[in-house]
Amino acid sequence: MNWIHLVRSELRKLTTTRMPWAFLAVLAAIAAINATAVIAGTDMDGSKAFIATGADQQSLVAFAANGLMIAGLFGAIAAAREYGHKTVVPTFLAAPRRSSTVIAQYTAVAVGGGALGLVGAGLTVTALAVSLPATDYGFLISAGGVSQVLAAAMLAGAAGAVLGAGVGMVVRNTGGAVTGAVLALVVAPPLLVQLASSTASWIPNTLANVVSGVADNVAVPAAIAAIVVWALVPAGIGLVAVQRRDVA
Amino acid sequence: MSIDQQAAARPSGQGDESPPSHPPPGYSLAFSHITKRYGDRAVVDDLTFTVQPGRVTGFLGRNGAGKSTTMKVLLGLASADQGRATIGGRSYRDLPDPARTVGVVLEPNAFHPGRSGRNHLRIVADAAGIDHSRVDEILGSVNLADEAADRRVGTYSLGMKQRLSLAAALLGDPQVLVLDEPANGLDPQGIRTLRELLRARAARGHTVLVSSHLLDEVEHLVDDVVVINEGKLIATGTIHDLQRTSTLVRTGSPEKLDDVLTAAGARVDHKDQTTLVVTDMAVDEIGEQAFVAGVPLHELSPQRGSLEDLFLEWTRNRANGEKEESLS
Repeated sequence: MNWIHLVRSELRKLTTTRMPWAFLAVLAAIAAINATAVIAGTDMDGSKAFIATGADQQSLVAFAANGLMIAGLFGAIAAAREYGHKTVVPTFLAAPRRSSTVIAQYTAVAVGGGALGLVGAGLTVTALAVSLPATDYGFLISAGGVSQVLAAAMLAGAAGAVLGAGVGMVVRNTGGAVTGAVLALVVAPPLLVQLASSTASWIPNTLANVVSGVADNVAVPAAIAAIVVWALVPAGIGLVAVQRRDVA
Repeated sequence: MSIDQQAAARPSGQGDESPPSHPPPGYSLAFSHITKRYGDRAVVDDLTFTVQPGRVTGFLGRNGAGKSTTMKVLLGLASADQGRATIGGRSYRDLPDPARTVGVVLEPNAFHPGRSGRNHLRIVADAAGIDHSRVDEILGSVNLADEAADRRVGTYSLGMKQRLSLAAALLGDPQVLVLDEPANGLDPQGIRTLRELLRARAARGHTVLVSSHLLDEVEHLVDDVVVINEGKLIATGTIHDLQRTSTLVRTGSPEKLDDVLTAAGARVDHKDQTTLVVTDMAVDEIGEQAFVAGVPLHELSPQRGSLEDLFLEWTRNRANGEKEESLS
């Protein structure tokens, strides 16, 4: 048994059902909504100030926060369905040392989530570029800006997927895991900010925007590290839970 | 080559009911004082038995008797509260190449319904480092090649799912097979194929443990049986010996013979006015006791009861608080 074999097996699990297509459809829908907004939308004053500058356009296509959420759901479903369908049983039989298997699963969902984030950001940027000719504005985001948006979305997607997978391994039920991921990424952060306003700069959405270059609450390296921590905490809990529990 | 053909190409070993004098080298499965509790309830209770290589061992008990849990403990999927289960002296997690050592059918529906049978096996093969050419080979051997292999498992019948499970178990050509209710959903041809496969594997010195709650189904398949009830061992031994645990005695003096045999330690039931069913005493000794007592016998014949009858008797004995029956 080889760890690379396990990662290959986990990647094959992710790519041999219709789940990735469903997520790609969501990404395409988000890009289409963005394109529609660019073509038909206006600010409150009737202008198109929201696409007037490079920074405005980069804010519009900063997909990392969306990528974090979408990949979080992806990871939660991918991990929880393993237990729901009991497909984790043949995996644990092939690789009974569960820590290796779980890390392979995290690696695979990180690759999948990163790919979703990258594709989502790519589609969104493409949608902007395609729809701008219908307005009075050109494509104003620099090459560096585009690269940062893409890289941030990829990182956020990978982190979100690992976070979701950690939740999925703890909950082991697809519906519960999706709910858990939403709680962790959408519900809990604002509550945290209400409890301690100083945490506002450290919640996932803010951190994703920092990494995308459209916010500057904290330094980019610190934001990257914080996003990784957000992912690793539930992932660590999931790892411990899987090692301690029987496979029903 | 199909499983049928593979089995036919090898010595079947069928009918060889006595244990080999020198067990072939292989992996024995050892369960030592296994106890598994869920809450206050002991699902498996101080269970000790051994499964020998070169034999097909039936692991029998009612639904909920603890068979699957015991298998999960062996396979490292569940942890025992007490005791240890080993394969060739090692715990499952310590086997150097578990997928090539032990083939397992455990969960009847451990598939993603949206994934094809071929991809399911490729995933298992990837995890175990087995070449994909083996996937195609094994799919053919369980009659799931071509169109069926590329269909989503959600469209499979129960029998097809069982064959896919068996294919996954055989993927690594393992020395040990641990199969939980493998015949569920199989048609008569599938059951026959399974039987021939398992016999052929045992004949090659492999270790085969097959659980079932359908006693008649495994009666003609197994060499040895381990019977559990409510998590406890109630009988173990060769099926040949277990099925000869009673003797039918016909005599003109049943009451007198009953007294003589009971005094000598046998258990005697009256089948009708002239016939006794004697257990816990060898046929020879029954004859000698009758001769010494001067009781003429009209018939003295060992009985080969069905597993189902025997199982009901064992569980009744357990319920009555009678002594454990072990012929091992």
